[in-house]
This record gives sequence, structure tokens and C-alpha cells, in this order.
Amino acid sequence: MTSFHSATPSSVKTPSTALRLAGALGAASLLAACSADRLNITNPNTPTVAAAAADPQALQLQATGLLRQLRGGRGGFMSSVGIFGRESYNYTPQEGRNTSGFLIGISGANRLDPAGFAVGNWAGQYGNLRDIFNLKTAAAASGALSAEQKSATQGFAKTLEGLELLYVISTRDSLGAIVEIKQNASDLAAFVSRDSVYKYILGTLDDGAANLAAGGAAFPFTMHAGFNGFNTPATFRLFNRAIAARAAAYYATSGGGATAWQRSLTALTASFMNTSATSRAQLDAGPAHVYSAATGDANNPLNAVTATDIYAHPSFTTDAQNKANGQPDDRLTSKIGARPTRNAPQGLGTPSSIGFNIYPALTSSIPIIRNEELLLLRAEALLATGDKAGALAIVNQIRVSSGGLAASTLTASSPDADLLTEILYNKRYSLMLEGHRWIDMRRYGRLNELPRDITTGVNAHFVARVQPIPQGECLVRVGKPAPIAGPGC
Amino acid sequence: MGRFLSLVTAAAVAFLPLAAQAQSREVSGKVTMAGSGQPLPDVTVSIVGQQVGVRTNERGEYRFRVPSSEVVVLARQLGYKRQTIRLGPTENTANFVLEKDVLQLEGVTVTGQATTTDRKVAATAVATVAAAELNRVPARSIEGNLAGKVAGARMFENSGAPGGGAQIQIRGATSVLASGDPLYVVDGVIISNASISSGSSSVTRASGSTGSSQDQVVNRLADLNPNDVENIEVLKSAAATAIYGSRATNGVVVITTKRGKQGRASWNVVQRMGTQQAQRLLGHRTFANYDEVKPFVGGAYGDSVARAACGSGVCPAFDWQKELYGRTSPSWETLLSSAGGANNTRYFVSLNDRQESGIAINTGARRTGGRINLDQTIGTKLTVSAGLDVTRNFFQRGFGNNDNAGVSPIYSLAYNPAIIDLQQKDASGRYVQMPFYTSSTRPGFGTSNPFEVFNFADNTESVWRQAGNVRVGYTALSTSKNSVSLSLLSGVDRFQQEGFQYFPNYFQIEPSDGFLGTVNQVNASSLQMNQGANAVWTFTPGTKWFTSATTSVGGSYETQALNQYSVRGRGLLPTRKIALGATDIAITNQRTEFRDQSLYAQTQLLLLDEKLALNGGVRADRSSANGDREKYFTFPKVSGSYRLVRPLTDRIDEIKFRGAWGQSGNRPRWADRDILYADGGLIGGGGSLVSASQLGSTTVKPEVMNELEFGTDIALFGGRVGLEFSRYQRQIKDLLLTFPLAPSSGLGTQVINGGQLSVLGTEAVLSAVPFRSRGFEWTTRIIYNQNAQFTDSIPVPAFAVGGSFGAAYGRNRIQSGTRSTMIWGNAPLRPNATAGGPPTVADTILFDSNPIHTTTFNNDISYKRFTVSALVDWRNGGYVSNMTNNLWDEGGQSRDFNQAGKARYQTFNSGDIRPYIQNGSYVKIREVTLNYQAPDALARRIPGASSLRFNLSGRNLAIISKYWSFDPEFSNFGNSNFNRFIDLAPFPASRQFFFSVDVGF
Repeated sequence: MTSFHSATPSSVKTPSTALRLAGALGAASLLAACSADRLNITNPNTPTVAAAAADPQALQLQATGLLRQLRGGRGGFMSSVGIFGRESYNYTPQEGRNTSGFLIGISGANRLDPAGFAVGNWAGQYGNLRDIFNLKTAAAASGALSAEQKSATQGFAKTLEGLELLYVISTRDSLGAIVEIKQNASDLAAFVSRDSVYKYILGTLDDGAANLAAGGAAFPFTMHAGFNGFNTPATFRLFNRAIAARAAAYYATSGGGATAWQRSLTALTASFMNTSATSRAQLDAGPAHVYSAATGDANNPLNAVTATDIYAHPSFTTDAQNKANGQPDDRLTSKIGARPTRNAPQGLGTPSSIGFNIYPALTSSIPIIRNEELLLLRAEALLATGDKAGALAIVNQIRVSSGGLAASTLTASSPDADLLTEILYNKRYSLMLEGHRWIDMRRYGRLNELPRDITTGVNAHFVARVQPIPQGECLVRVGKPAPIAGPGC
Repeated sequence: MGRFLSLVTAAAVAFLPLAAQAQSREVSGKVTMAGSGQPLPDVTVSIVGQQVGVRTNERGEYRFRVPSSEVVVLARQLGYKRQTIRLGPTENTANFVLEKDVLQLEGVTVTGQATTTDRKVAATAVATVAAAELNRVPARSIEGNLAGKVAGARMFENSGAPGGGAQIQIRGATSVLASGDPLYVVDGVIISNASISSGSSSVTRASGSTGSSQDQVVNRLADLNPNDVENIEVLKSAAATAIYGSRATNGVVVITTKRGKQGRASWNVVQRMGTQQAQRLLGHRTFANYDEVKPFVGGAYGDSVARAACGSGVCPAFDWQKELYGRTSPSWETLLSSAGGANNTRYFVSLNDRQESGIAINTGARRTGGRINLDQTIGTKLTVSAGLDVTRNFFQRGFGNNDNAGVSPIYSLAYNPAIIDLQQKDASGRYVQMPFYTSSTRPGFGTSNPFEVFNFADNTESVWRQAGNVRVGYTALSTSKNSVSLSLLSGVDRFQQEGFQYFPNYFQIEPSDGFLGTVNQVNASSLQMNQGANAVWTFTPGTKWFTSATTSVGGSYETQALNQYSVRGRGLLPTRKIALGATDIAITNQRTEFRDQSLYAQTQLLLLDEKLALNGGVRADRSSANGDREKYFTFPKVSGSYRLVRPLTDRIDEIKFRGAWGQSGNRPRWADRDILYADGGLIGGGGSLVSASQLGSTTVKPEVMNELEFGTDIALFGGRVGLEFSRYQRQIKDLLLTFPLAPSSGLGTQVINGGQLSVLGTEAVLSAVPFRSRGFEWTTRIIYNQNAQFTDSIPVPAFAVGGSFGAAYGRNRIQSGTRSTMIWGNAPLRPNATAGGPPTVADTILFDSNPIHTTTFNNDISYKRFTVSALVDWRNGGYVSNMTNNLWDEGGQSRDFNQAGKARYQTFNSGDIRPYIQNGSYVKIREVTLNYQAPDALARRIPGASSLRFNLSGRNLAIISKYWSFDPEFSNFGNSNFNRFIDLAPFPASRQFFFSVDVGF
């Protein structure tokens, strides 16, 4: 526009010169204006994937993104699995569906509504799986990373991939799940069976462990403080093996059998399991999600201060064993506290007057996996592989050091079922509200032992066996052939 | 590098030497009116095929230079039939006698960036509104001036708040997600019509923290001064808009401002004074006694107030709305303009100051601005035109529409019985607090006294706008048979919008969010620029069968950048009106930018003694908004018309048949093409990147509209009766939609192109001079519009259009094989499985929001020095989601609560929303004006004056409608493609009166 001003003074005396000037300037500005390069504008509001790829910070931000999303799914997982396993309630007064959606489902149908509230632990996990996929792709193609750094990054990503998929399959179980992330998000990946999912998880975790072993001394990114002690390829591998041990144990009770138990035991040995742990700190050792009150960060979603709608199931109190002095299990007294009695909204359940003190502060960390779980997994595996004495030893170690109880009266000659009951009792109290009770009871076919607060009428409770595949997942698969359309839909 | 542009620039340079060598001569003459022989000022005289011309002075005389060869000289003025005279190489005088053109069959219509064609041979339906018709009655913004005057275009005012906020929709909705706005072009410059919230959501909490579409948003067309406009042409069909390419599916509104003329400087001064009053208010329910009001008083505190107010007898009745919206303070408008020209320079300048008072205290709008348009001829071949417009627009629009805080009066009063005096003040000078609508023992935080809010809150919008354009025109070749003109155009449109809200800490609602005092500042700065080059070759062989061929090529480069940010502070120190130091601070910021390049070529042929017109052209566009930024998308057009002159009988002057087909586009939205990360938030002090839930499309492209239009224009009885009829079918393909992805993909939705909308419609215009005798003339124009809008298919699951309140209040739904304008909502539909049980409530089609037709009646009656004009607008059908009514029934305060309101609400509560989906038929008296042209003798009593006019006019004088609320046109969500039928507690409508004196010097 400025070019035209200079060409148009009325005092110009020689038209031809003025015209030439105007023509030349006009032509020049238009020639410049029509280059296609002019149209290449970068989005100033949010980074594009392409633009971020070239940024030296991208790998760090993506890696943090994986841990951020992993944390994002944790509260929902623990809360929903806790309700199914009769550990917790979400008694939001104005939202009855936080109760009915999990405990009643479709009234009288003994199933959960695929369009209802209990469809979590799916989209969030796959959201992270998409970013895990992206990180794997970006790391593989990176020109800036050394071979060791690439390997370490792959190992990091595959460990989280296995963990996220384990959350998915442990809630969908026999429905199967989807393990593949397609480059093109609109291409539908096939459903695969539970067996295939576990095999995929274990294979991915093993690959990840191998990658970590070849990952050199350090990751090309840093991790938050919750991973202190697990933030080098070698130490992160301990975490990888812990997840593999859990996955193999789950697989063992879901068709994997003896081989899987053996795999679990092997993985435990390679994990950060400390078999001589007796102190609280030793039992709690393991990576955790950290929380903070900083703007942009998040509070612990299950904290005792603000998560006041989360109540505990009264059966914790009634089922707790007593110590020698007649007082209840230390794990009950330390984790459960009194609350103002809260009725279930709209008569959808029964009242509770206890809540959880597991996470006392807004910034309390939530464990991802910790030594106490590893010990109990080992007890499960030993029992399943015939080493009842070994299993009993661990149970007693936990009873004494974690619960303050006396050693169990069971012996190595007690029936397997009794020993399992004792292991499950300890898992229930040791790993309270950490997302295990419901899954363990299903793994051992004991869901019918879980208490139902209301047994008759339109509000009768039932124990869900699996979470449904969300309706949104099935709608896009309507009319498609078998592995795409189901079996979960 | 585009080939067309190379051609243009090469041609520009190639023709330059001709300039110095050309010979010329001077031609002069006089233009007079047929019959009376009065001289006609302001007539444009030019050589056929050239852009540049001169205008006649007040004595009807003109003088200009033409090439020495044979030329054809044309004289034209809107409102008169044009005339051409062929001048041989030795002739130097051409006198014209022009006839009046009552049926508007004359005039020119835009066919391209630099070309026009005679209206009589136009191959598409033409809609032009000239200054006189446009500015008969002042309006808040130019959309109001256009309402009811353009076939095929519907104008809606979004609320009754002063200053503007209106929508023009041409031939139905063409898009679901992309722009629904026509393209506005002022003197060749594409201007912004952005609708940007000034932030009242920060205090009404309608939605979002600092602004939403529910904030009575003003679209920026409000900054344009209608008095500067010479004429407006509305391009409707794709064949007419194709030349504007990928931003043109919603039509193009081409606005031309006034320009200077040769001769003595003339001055014009208009002083208007007016007032306004609420058109109709909702009324309040009255209560016979305390027992009747008891259910609506809230808790113990409200109960005690009600008990005291009612005593043992009839409760007092107050008309709170009448008190709040009863202001009739004067409105003022001063217009000053001057036009003139000497030697080779012509100018038009204007200044205007318009102060509109609102019907509530502290509401109003003030637009102050000035414009300079200059035309400079350099030699015989070069012209330079420049325009500059500077406007300041200031709004105080009060509070209206949706509200979640108790601020918007029509919303909050719906829940409070009008039995106390809200204008009472306590000892400290504060208004009484609203005692009801709370269950506590003291006044609650969820409601407020609107008198306190309107008196002591700040809610302003301030806009500074500058627009400018420069056009360089060069006649490269001018012979009797060939002329080539080149032009370069550059334009800029910039505005800065500042919104501001302040709620002091003592307001009744302030404690509700835990922070006392709220301040919010919204800032938006927009910069749009465009540059273009055109070359036009007109070939005039002068034979009977081949009249002319006009071929043009050109290109353009356009940019639009917008930067918005806002800062809200809550928890303020007393009287502090800045966010700094507030207890809680929230910030938003977003920048967007579009850049577009285009190339075009077109040709228009006039054949067979000007009976046959054929046009063809193509535009190629590429844009930064498309997935492929290098790819050109093409938009072709073809059209033709044939005129039968005096067929069958002499009573039929002429019948023209026309047909047109064209394509135009609608550009993808900002960032639709981008595959984005989202800000994942912090963990352990570190930031993170995660995939955004919405996946952009790297192949996203413009929506494409194909439109076929057929029509006929008939003139009868020697120009006494004219009939225009058009039928159009538009199909919009490659719709911009969001496709829900499988959750297991890890993402939420993806942007795609696909599916099809269509519109089938009819427009008819009947113009007539039913009565004409000496000194008396009655002209009438009836405009009829009808269309049906369909969703033919969509490749995604059916979805409800965003920007609504859900199935319980009605909204549009995009579903294959349905009418897209249908209102869907809850109603008892399927019989319950158990016999005798209540029917199941389902979300189903209820009524059509699209009117059956709209018909407007324009009448002008002139008798000697008096002219009376009236515009009556009839909308037949078109349903509205009357949520205002729903609020008042829910609150138990509707004026007809006992008779009907209670039953309406019970039906609604049982899951049947039909009582609130109401027929929006109306008859509106939009404009009435009485004009008196004083005799010259009287005018001359004012020193220096040459003309004097008095005018009395009114706008929106009356609405005849059974509709329960204010105005069925209003839209809570402002301008939108769909869902613009949701009426929720708007600022009430008002009627406006003006008296004006117009003096010419």
C-alpha cells in the first residue's frame, strides 16, 4: 500500500515517469504478494505436531506429557475400580449417577450402561497410548538422539504402553481390547482377545526392558520427583519389571497359567522388590504420581481434604482382623477415618460414615506400584506354583510389618483356598484404594463374595464383572466386520 | 508465481509508453430531466467501457477530455434511465435528456472486481439499494437500514440494545461450522464484520470467564456510517459471487461510498433529534394477597418483606420493567458533508456524530467519524482514488441475554414478585437489595436489583476504526472499438475494540463467587489488508449483432489478522478498576491470521443488439486456511440472459429470461488444518505436550456451493409495472464437519469435509406505479422471499448444532434427509411399553424455525413537496424457542401465569417443551417517514443555503404478533448459522422517532 502513495503525488509533471514508477512498484508489490511462501503461517497459539518436532525441548515436553496423562487417569481408575470392588463410594449429592452408574447399572439388567458414567479407563488411556505412539515414532526418527538415548526412550515409552494397556484390559477383561494405535487416527484398529492383549502387554514390557538395558546411563529427558530412584534406564527397568510382574500375574489367572506365574516370579526378581522389607518406607518404595498446588498442576484427586464426596465401604471396618491387643488391623486405623454420615443420593445406596485418610494432603503422592504389592504378588505366585511355605512367609511378613497383626494361624498344610483368602485379605488392606480389590476378586472368581448394599427393588446393586466398551467406541464400528466391530461391542 | 498476475503486470508495463503519445480533445454538454427540462446534477458522464468519468454540476453541465478518435459517451445516474451518444472525431458536444427510472430497471450491477454490467442485461438476480432508500429512516447499524429492502436477504436484529448487533443471512444457511456471514466489501476493500464479545460474561457468567457469544455482541458492521453510502449491492447467487471465491457462499455485500464531483463545493448539514421508547414489555404478574405471593418469595427474609408489603390486603404492584426501560432521553445525530471538485481533483468529505440513547439508564451508543474520498486525475489516462474513514464507536449496552449470576434484568426479574419498590435507597444511598429468590434469612447472592446494576456497574465497548483504500486506474488504450484499463487497488481496515466491565465490591451478587468486586478488560485488534490488480479489455465493435465484449483478468492478496486478549480480576480493593493485585486473575489470549491469494479471469459478451448477454469466468483461490496451501481451488461461473423487447403486445415493454450457474466457496476455519498439541499442564514443575483432542485435517479445503438460478424480469405498461422472479437451488458440498473418532484412537474428533446441505428458494419483486397524476405519485414495491433448507447427507452421525441449550429448550440438528431449520426438542412421542403409562419423552422434530415466507411492502407516496414512505415487514411462520417465557413461567411471574403460564410450565416440566416453541409470525411497521422539501425561497432565508428539507420519521413503530416475548427476531447467541431462534432475556426492543432538518449550501 505504501508503494502506491509514493507514486501518486498530484505534482508529478511527467506522466510517463509517474506511470512507469507506479507500474513498476505495483508490479513489484504484487509479485511479492503472490508467492505461496506468504501463506505459510505458524500457529501462534498452540504448537503443531510438526513444529514441535523440530524443537529441542519437544522430547522433554512429550515425555512429561506421558507421565502427566498417566497421572490423569489414575484418580478415575482408583475411584471407579474402588466402587466396583466395594472399597469406596462417590456420594456427590447432586449427581446420583456417580452411584447408580457403578453399583446399579441398567436397572434389573445386571450390566453397566455403555453410554453411562462407568465407561472410564478407556479414552484417557488410549489418549496416552496415542502420545506414547507419537513419542516412539519421534524418537525412532530423531536425528538428535544417540542410539542409546533412542533405546532408552523406547524403553520408557513401552513401559508406559504396557502399564496403560494393563489398566484397560484389567477393567475390560473378557471383552478384549484394542492394542494398536494407527498412524491415521480415522483408521479403525481391530479388537483383540484378552489373551492377545496380555501377550502384547508382556511382549511390549519385555521389549521395553531390553531397550532400557541397552539405554546407556541416562535418559535424554528428566522425570519428576515421583520417579526418584527410577530415573535412569537401569533403575527404570526395575519399574518395568514390576509392571511386568503384575501383568504376568494377571495373565496367569486369565488363561496364562503356570508359564505366566513363572514369568511373574522372574520379573519380580528383576524388579525393585525388597523381600526383606519391614518398615513402612521399605514397603512403600516405588515410583509415584506427584501433585502440587501450582497453577496448571493438579491436586491429589482422592485427598482427604477436598475429595469429600469419596466415602469408604463400611465392610472395611467389619472385616478387619484384630491385633493381639484387640485393636483392629493397623492398616484400617491408619487409612480409614470417621466422616459425617452421608446418605447415598436419591436413595441409590446405603449411608457411610467413614472415609479414606490414605492421602492426607492436597499434594500427597499416589503410588504407581510399590514394594508391598510386589511382595503380595510374589505370595500369589508362590502359592500358585506350589510353594505354600514361601507364600505364607510373605503373608506373615506383611501381616506383622504392615498390619501390626500376629502371624497367621495358617500353615503350609492349610488348604490352598484358605491361603488365597489370607493373601487377598492382605492385598485388600495393604493396597486399599489402589485399584486392586475388584480385579483380584474377579481374577480368582470371587466377585460373588463382594457385599451388595441393596439387594432388592429397582435400585438393587450388582457386582459388575467388566466395564463396558464405551458407546462412542462401538458406534463408529457399527456395520464393520468382526475384529473391527467386536467382540466387546 | 501466478500466471495471471504476471500477465497483468506485464501488460501494465507494456502499455505505459502509450500514455505519453495519446492525443485527446475536450467534450462538453448538459444533462437535463425528460419532461421538466430541469438540469440534473450528479450525473456520471463517461466513455463507454471506462471506469473514469465526470459528474455534472448543479446546472447539469459537464466537461471532460476524450481520445481524438470516435467515442461513445454515456450519461447515467441511479434513478434515471441511461443514455449513450456516439461522437465522431470532430464532434465536441453531447447533450443528454434522461428519463426517470421508477422500476429500477436501469443502473449497473457488479460482475467482477473491476467490471460492471448494465442491470437490464444482468444474468443474475440483482439487488441494489441506493442511498435515498437506504437512509429513509436512521437505524442503529446498516443492517437495519437494509431490512426488508433486499429480496433474498433476511436481516435480524439480535437484541434491542443500542448500537447494533445484527445479522444478514442471504438465501439461507450455507454452513454448519464455517462462516455464516456475507463478505462485506467497501469501495473494493474487504472489511471485517467480526463479532467479538466485549466481556459481559465476566459478570453475568453466561458462559466462559471473560466473554461469550451470549454477551449481546456487536458485529463490526456497526462502525460503518450509512449516511456515507452511495449504494449497496447484494450479490446473492454463486454465479454473482464466484468472483469473490472462497469466502463468498454467504453472498457478498458490495458497498460504495459517496464520491466527489466536478464543480463548486456543496455543503450539506443534517441535524436530527429523536427519542425512543420500549416497543413492548413483558409486564409483571400481580398478586391479590400475601398467600398468593408466598410461594415466590424465597426464604424467611423474602417472606418477611412480602408480608410487610402485602399486609392483609392486595399486594402492591410495581412495573419494574417500565421503570427500568422507561427512559426517553433524546438521541442526536449531526451530519456534515461536502463534495466538490476543481481541475482534476474531486473530493467528498463527511463528518458525523450519532448519539443514540438507550431506553435504560447508562445505555446508549455513540458513533463519531469522518470520511474523505479523493479522486485525482493525472493527465488523461491515470486516475488515483483514495478513501479514508476514521470512526470511533462507543457502546453502553447494559446487560441482557443469558445469565447465571442474577445480573441480566429480564432474566432475574422473572423470579421476583414485583411487589416492592426497587428504586428505594437506604440511608447510605445504596439501592435496596432484591429480597426474594433465596432461601436464607438475608438477601441472597444469586439475584440483584437491576437499578443498582444499571446505575453503578460499568459495561462499555469502545472501538477505534480506520479504513483506507487507494486505487490507481490507468487507461492503457482507448479507441472507438477497444479500451484497456488497468487498476491497482490497495486497502486496509483496522480496528481496536476494548471492552470493560466493573462490578464494585458492594454489589449483591459479588459474594457468590467468593471474591468481592469484578473487573474485566477485553481487547481485540484486527488488521485486514487487501491488494489487487485488474486489467479490463472492452471490445466494442459497434455492430448490431456484437455490441461488446468485456474481458478482465486480475489477482488479489488478502490478509486478516486478529489478536485478542482479556484480563479478569476478582477480589478488588475498593474503587480499584484494574486487575492488577486482584485476588484472582484470569487471562485469555488468542491470535489468528488468514492469508489468501487469488487469480481470476472472466468475460462478458453483449450480443444481438444488446438482447443476449453471456458471461463466463473463473476464480482460483489458495489460502493459509486450507490443508494444502499451494493448491488453487477454482470457482467457475457461467450465466446468460435474453431480452424480448415488446413481445406480443406494446403493453409489455420487455421480458428478460436469465439463467446462471456458479460455484463459490467457504474457507475452513482458523487452525482446522493444524495437527496440534495441547498444553498438557504441569507435573512436578515441568510443562508438557499432549495430543489435542481435535485432530485437524491436512487435506481440509473450502466448502463448495453450486448454485443454479433461473429468473425472469418483466416490465409492463411503459415502465409502470415491473416483475422480477427468481428461483434458485443451492447445494453446498464438502461441508466442514467434525467426525467423532473411535476413542481407542486416542483422539476425540477430526475435522473433515463431506456431506451436503441444500437450499431451494424463490424470490419475487413486484414494483409498480399504481397511481400517477400531476404532482402525485404512488410507487410500491413488494418483496417476497421463501426458501426451504435441507441437510441432504452428512458422513458423520447426526448431531445437534452447537450454541444451544439442549433438547429441553430446542435446537437445530443436522441429520441426513431432514430440513436443517427444524427445531428439535423433547416431546412425548412414543407410547409407553406398559399400557396406560405416560408416553416416552423423546428428542424429536417439533417446528420449523424457517418462516413460510417473508414479504415486505415498501410504499412511497409523493405529492408536490411532500413524500410519505412506509416499510411494512410480514413474517409468516418461523418458530422461536421462547426461553424468556420459560423463565417467567418458571419464576411464577409471567403476566398470564394464572391463565396460561402455570399450565405451560407444567407441560414443559413433564418433558414436553412445545409450549415454549412459539410461532414467531409478525407484521412490523419498520419504517415510516414524512418528508417536506421547502421551497427555494424559504431555503434562501438561511444565509448561503440552497435547499431545505424537513423530515419526521420512525423506526420499528409497531409489531403485531401473538409472540409472548419482545421480538421473535432476537437471538441470544447473536449471529449464527443455525440456532438463531433462541430468545433468552434480551434487552427489550424499542421504537425510535426522529425529526431532522437537512440544509444544503
